[in-house]
Amino acid sequence: MISVPGVEFFTVLVTYIIIFLIITLSYNLAYGYTGIPDFGRAMAAGAGGFLCGYLPGRLMARVLGIQEDYLENVILIVDRINRELEKNPALSIGLLVLTLLLAALAAGALGLLASLPIFRGIRLFYLGVTLLSIQISFNTIVYHWEPIIRGEHGVPVPDPFGWLPPGPMRSIGVIATSAIVLVIVGYYCISVGRSPLGRLLKAVRDDERSAEALGRDVRKLYVKVMVISYAFSGVAGALFAFYQGYVIGLHFERVTWTFWPIAMVILGGLASNKGTVIGTIVFITLKRLILFYKADLEAFLPFSPVWLDGVLLGIILILLLIYNPRGLLPEKPEITISREDIERIREDVSKVL
Amino acid sequence: MSATLALAKTNVPNFAVATFGTIGIYITFSCIKLLGIGLYPSLLFCFVGGGLVGVLTYIFVIRPLRRRGATSEEIMIATLALDIFLIAMLNIYADYLTRKYKIMARDFTLSAYDFSIFGLDGVFVVSTSVFLAVLVVLHLIFTKTNLGIAMKAIGENPSLAECDGVNTEFLYIITWFIVGALPALAGAFFPVYWMSNPTTSMFVVVTVFSGCVLGGFTTIYDAAVGGYIVAIAQTALVSYLSNVVGTWILSYGFLIPLLIMIVTIFVFPEGLRSLSLDRLLRSSRYILTRLEGFR
Repeated sequence: MISVPGVEFFTVLVTYIIIFLIITLSYNLAYGYTGIPDFGRAMAAGAGGFLCGYLPGRLMARVLGIQEDYLENVILIVDRINRELEKNPALSIGLLVLTLLLAALAAGALGLLASLPIFRGIRLFYLGVTLLSIQISFNTIVYHWEPIIRGEHGVPVPDPFGWLPPGPMRSIGVIATSAIVLVIVGYYCISVGRSPLGRLLKAVRDDERSAEALGRDVRKLYVKVMVISYAFSGVAGALFAFYQGYVIGLHFERVTWTFWPIAMVILGGLASNKGTVIGTIVFITLKRLILFYKADLEAFLPFSPVWLDGVLLGIILILLLIYNPRGLLPEKPEITISREDIERIREDVSKVL
Repeated sequence: MSATLALAKTNVPNFAVATFGTIGIYITFSCIKLLGIGLYPSLLFCFVGGGLVGVLTYIFVIRPLRRRGATSEEIMIATLALDIFLIAMLNIYADYLTRKYKIMARDFTLSAYDFSIFGLDGVFVVSTSVFLAVLVVLHLIFTKTNLGIAMKAIGENPSLAECDGVNTEFLYIITWFIVGALPALAGAFFPVYWMSNPTTSMFVVVTVFSGCVLGGFTTIYDAAVGGYIVAIAQTALVSYLSNVVGTWILSYGFLIPLLIMIVTIFVFPEGLRSLSLDRLLRSSRYILTRLEGFR
């Protein structure tokens, strides 16, 4: 008999959708609006997520005066920290906000570093290759270098939502916090899309040289977009780490955190925030359903259903690029003067002539 | 050489190149475990199998995108999507082998199937011979045959070549056969020394791209030199450093190709070819003068 998704499935689904919306909206800013082929996006989410495993626990241990070696006794120490946080909601919220801010800073700094090759004016392909290689190297360092988060063993993350009653309330707490961040990111992205800055970004994407000829500092613009976009993705990574309660060196790999967001943005439509929202909801729901029905599918398939994730992503992305590259909600053309005005001007000019 | 060929001749940035190599690994593995064919006879199957994957990639991914007039970024993303698809398919195949034939199809090596000659590992002798043979054959094709000259022409200007009566479609298929066959051939040698699994490409892709970037993505000769420099630098430096600072450094060997790639992009983005002897001499003279002044 086929299982039917319950409340837990939907709370997990909503949390994932919100976290990935932060990622995809920020990615849309870099790729959709500005045309930066950022294949290292997983690194931004990783910066936030790994910082969550590294910093808040150590910080709280110091605040609580815990002397033992942090990594050696991490499970016991984080357990003690969680008990303290349960008693003190103000401290929990403070720790959450501080970590999210630091995650944004760390990811933003990484965005600055990742945008440096752009200053060399390198070919697009080189940029893609460089960012992908840096991301792979970044993840491999975190995976192998135990002092950060114990590599493959990982570390538990202090729970800033522990003061909420256990069960659905904790999920609601995570969802509410993520939703607040999403509102900020969404408001920023929509505002950019509607502002002259959005038009400038699209102009740079469509013809970098023309924008430069009109006196715009294109390189500086690229760097700004990368820093802001990485900072948002870093916050999403941190929220994911808090939600999971544990972070290991294998988290934030490129398929889930770079290529899925690319597919979501392309499905929705480049430089279309509404489209990005639709693309994200469709893809995340599909992904969660595959995971949910994993056990049911296992009985029929001669392989683990987890690989269907990659097969579907690959096929959908290729088909989208071939048959519907503009996405479900294509970008609207930017018309600065209305058609009536153009006709009126034309008539005036013809009268004069 | 395969990635450079794809970019230089067909203007396609192929991000799936390393996974074409993993396909070679699994063709060899299947030949040995299922068909009982030896390690080196399976090279022929790798060449043909990899070539077919390359042709299918062209027919089902690259050609439709070209016909639609896709941008370079879109083609780049499509090859990344293909990479993910192929890795997932290789994982499915590995699962299938394990479940159906009870074979350990992950984290395996094929060193037991190698031989030794004059104290040298067979894989060293065969891979070097195959590499030289491939280089010579490709050189002869590109310089002495009409096919090779036409391939050069489509790399320079496909529309003009077509106007001149060149069958570009046929040439793209031939090029993509080579683009798929070469990494698969290289993949056959990989499991002799290193543990292999469906995600092996993720660990070698940085080295592969570093060699291409150093070669400047221009000609197969530059790519070959770039690849050799990166591979030797990585192996020699890591081996030296592991003796000096300890074996923990082995896990960070990938940082050497990354460093080479970054230095290349920032200092001489056109690759090795842009490094003229004159420029090198001038740079060395400048550094020596500064050092003397410092003393």
